[in-house]
Amino acid sequence: MAANMKAVKLRIKSVQNTMQITKAMQLVASSKLRKAKERADKCKPYAQELQQTLKDIANGYVGFQSVYAKKSNNDRHCYILVAGDRGMAGGYNSNVFKCLEARKGEGKDIVVLPVGKRAVDYATRRGYEILTTDFAQVEFIDVGDCFSISELLCSEFRKGSFGHIEMCHTEFISMLTQRPTIFPILPLHDIAEEYQDPEAVKKIGLTLYDPNPEEVFDIIVPEYLAGLIYAGICSSLASELAARRTAMDAATKNAGEMIDKLSLYYNRARQASITQEITEIVAGAEGV
Amino acid sequence: MTTFPLRIGTPDGLLYSGDVVRMVLRTITGDRAILANHIDFCTGIGMGEAHFVLEDGTVRRGACIGGMVTMQNGVCRILSTTWEWEEDIDKDRAQRARERAEEKLRKGDLSGKEAQVQEAKLKRALVRLSVKNH
Repeated sequence: MAANMKAVKLRIKSVQNTMQITKAMQLVASSKLRKAKERADKCKPYAQELQQTLKDIANGYVGFQSVYAKKSNNDRHCYILVAGDRGMAGGYNSNVFKCLEARKGEGKDIVVLPVGKRAVDYATRRGYEILTTDFAQVEFIDVGDCFSISELLCSEFRKGSFGHIEMCHTEFISMLTQRPTIFPILPLHDIAEEYQDPEAVKKIGLTLYDPNPEEVFDIIVPEYLAGLIYAGICSSLASELAARRTAMDAATKNAGEMIDKLSLYYNRARQASITQEITEIVAGAEGV
Repeated sequence: MTTFPLRIGTPDGLLYSGDVVRMVLRTITGDRAILANHIDFCTGIGMGEAHFVLEDGTVRRGACIGGMVTMQNGVCRILSTTWEWEEDIDKDRAQRARERAEEKLRKGDLSGKEAQVQEAKLKRALVRLSVKNH
């Protein structure tokens, strides 16, 4: 009984230590989350406008002369995969990866541009071709880095290394809900297919491009790409922290419950051992 | 005067959303003014001063660099890389940035990429100063 009591005591101690860690992680995530959420909220309207504008352009543009706009015969896809730097965030990382798997299908030839350490690990483990691992630290990526990513993608796209670019990230909906999503970015033909708008089709070919569509696309596409990547990273980062906070909150609660249960068990064991001792003493006294 | 809705967005947020009479900005092909009922239109933004006029005649100025401007279904959207309001520009800082960039370019021992970076810095500083000195 005494050995059992010692084991329970040790277990309580270890659960308490774990609880301290999860509690600290929850607090860190909460304080970082506030800032990340602010950034994501600020960036969201910009991304929405950007996407809406490009959708309108894609729907209304039939020339498709620019390499960024015309339908691609190259079936190779490039995925920008945004995940976290660390685990302990519930299903945050694995949900993004599952989302990518579902979209990709079986046996397709793909290239991945991983953003975040977990994304790099995942792409390496699965043996996907990796474009670059320069952006392994999602936490420190700023607008300038997004422009570098966009430049890299655009130059590879023009070279014909791949025919489609899609973005896979986690959308921050609220503190408690985050949804992994995947959407096409380039060529614009893919966007037009994804969002057919009957209103816009009526006005096809009426938009004026100054000086001409090709030059305009060459300028705006890298901007558009960088903008969407930045917005995606901001919302992913906020999602990661929110997911971590929720996960750590649950872990702390579980640890609390476990300690309660173990303490009860420990007290019962202690009581039982005392009772036994008394019984033994009384029995011994009677025997004398 | 007829007005039209204008939205200005940058990665730092939606900076302006409202009705204006006239929008003037520097595109990749030169300065351009947009009035209400403009044809659907799309082009890239260069580096330069931008301003718009509200219905009561108030003019708001800013330094607008990079991005795209579109006019679609009567709505004008400016999605730029950076937009700084005239009142937010720090003149001394821009002046210092200008001097630093000029100094580095004068030395002339920069590689192609570094020179490009310094030129871009110089241009940005000049745009900011020209907006502030208006």
